[in-house]
Amino acid sequence: MRKMIFTLLGVGALLGTSYAAQANSVLILEGYQAQAQMDDPAFREFSAERGQEFFSQNHTGGKPQTPSCTTCHTADPSGAGQTRAGKTIAPLAISKTPDRYSDFEKVEKWFRRNCTSVLGRTCSAREKGDFITFMKTR
Amino acid sequence: MALIEQNKMPKEGAVIWDFPLRFFHWAMVGVVAIAALTGYLFEGWWLNIHVYAGYALLCLLLFRLVWGFMGSYYSRFHHFPLARGEVIAHIKSLLKGRSKEYVGHNPVGAWMIVILLSTLVLLVLSGLFVWGGQENSGPLASVASYGIGKASEEVHEVLAGLLMAAIAFHVGGVLVENFIFKHPLIKAMITGRKEGAIAQGQVRVAHSVLGIGLFVAIVCGVALWVNAAQGPRFIGAQNATYTQECGDCHLAYHPSMRTGDSWQKMLLSLENHYGEDASLTPKKRAEILAYLQENNATTFDTKVAHKIGRIETASLRMTDTRYWQKKHDDFKPATFTHAEIGSKVNCNACHQDAADGRFSESAIKLPKGVKK
Repeated sequence: MRKMIFTLLGVGALLGTSYAAQANSVLILEGYQAQAQMDDPAFREFSAERGQEFFSQNHTGGKPQTPSCTTCHTADPSGAGQTRAGKTIAPLAISKTPDRYSDFEKVEKWFRRNCTSVLGRTCSAREKGDFITFMKTR
Repeated sequence: MALIEQNKMPKEGAVIWDFPLRFFHWAMVGVVAIAALTGYLFEGWWLNIHVYAGYALLCLLLFRLVWGFMGSYYSRFHHFPLARGEVIAHIKSLLKGRSKEYVGHNPVGAWMIVILLSTLVLLVLSGLFVWGGQENSGPLASVASYGIGKASEEVHEVLAGLLMAAIAFHVGGVLVENFIFKHPLIKAMITGRKEGAIAQGQVRVAHSVLGIGLFVAIVCGVALWVNAAQGPRFIGAQNATYTQECGDCHLAYHPSMRTGDSWQKMLLSLENHYGEDASLTPKKRAEILAYLQENNATTFDTKVAHKIGRIETASLRMTDTRYWQKKHDDFKPATFTHAEIGSKVNCNACHQDAADGRFSESAIKLPKGVKK
């Protein structure tokens, strides 16, 4: 009986953290949604397709070493990437790295850095939202 | 009473080299061979085996020094024929093509042992200082400075040459004695007995068992000392923000790898960090900056701090230092782009102790499929 309770508690804790991560990522997306609507009143919803295109295409304006997200993250978001220095990067796909988009500060840090490196500018809320929406489908 | 009197009498065919002494001798042969091979012929990353041979030598030598006072008759230093008169007489007779047979060591042989043992003691000591000062490992890591380690390496190399010469003389002398003068020295060191020799004292089994017990105790003692004196893995103080923020895209390089000035320049240009934006929030950057002003190449006394960290480069890159390039010039450029390595700055792909700032030669392990 006690064992069962502990097992249930354990499962509950696991589910809890994963729910918390999901809840956070939902909050983060809602934030980007609100921002995107402020930027463009005609904006309706994020699109995984647009996110995929943004992720895989070659951009101009950034640093020559990093023309695309796929330079480091590889074309497959569910696989591990590698930084230019050689360190392994955990997969971007939520199915592989569930807590990927749950820490707003961290999410913003990497969009700030990587958008400068790849696009030479900051990313819009719509681009960020499309990106995360795409990663949720992977 | 009568029995004891009888035992004190010189006895023919008795054991002259007790078992612990013979064990010491042949163990020494094996361990010195391993140490010499790994020291002279093999790559730096065989250093681990060399060091283990060194610890084994330390145990064997400590044992021999004690056994020189409490071993059986011919093992005791006190009974070595070292007096000047005896040595001169022995050399004179050798020059005339004769060699008087001694039951234990002959005078030249005895001096040879003294020279061999002292050289070996000094070799082990200097080796421990190199291991501690230069490689920041082992029981003397916290005691020996980098400078002492470096100086000890010179001493260690000279002593190793001396030892090789001494071994050549020792083996040459034994061969001459054995085959030209027909004194069965080699057989005596194997069986412990010398035919026809009238031996002083007596070797008791219990005494030999005591000798082996003593050796085991010394091994335990040395092992305890080596373990107890082991310093912390990470050299110096760590900072969680530094490790986290600077370890995102690459190894959080040990602070000893650049000077305070170089670190500062790097932190003030993170917006373009070797072709990437690695910018930090002002708060985090200030914290890391403070940490690196306190902890940098000038505050560490390690090999990497001296050889790479303190050498400033225009690019701020450590891979642009001459020492780095000299140390890696055996590798083709393609090696660094190997999937398991990725880039020149992924130190820990091969240096397993890179994060700790140690970079010991013994901790180099090439990933599978990577060749020199």
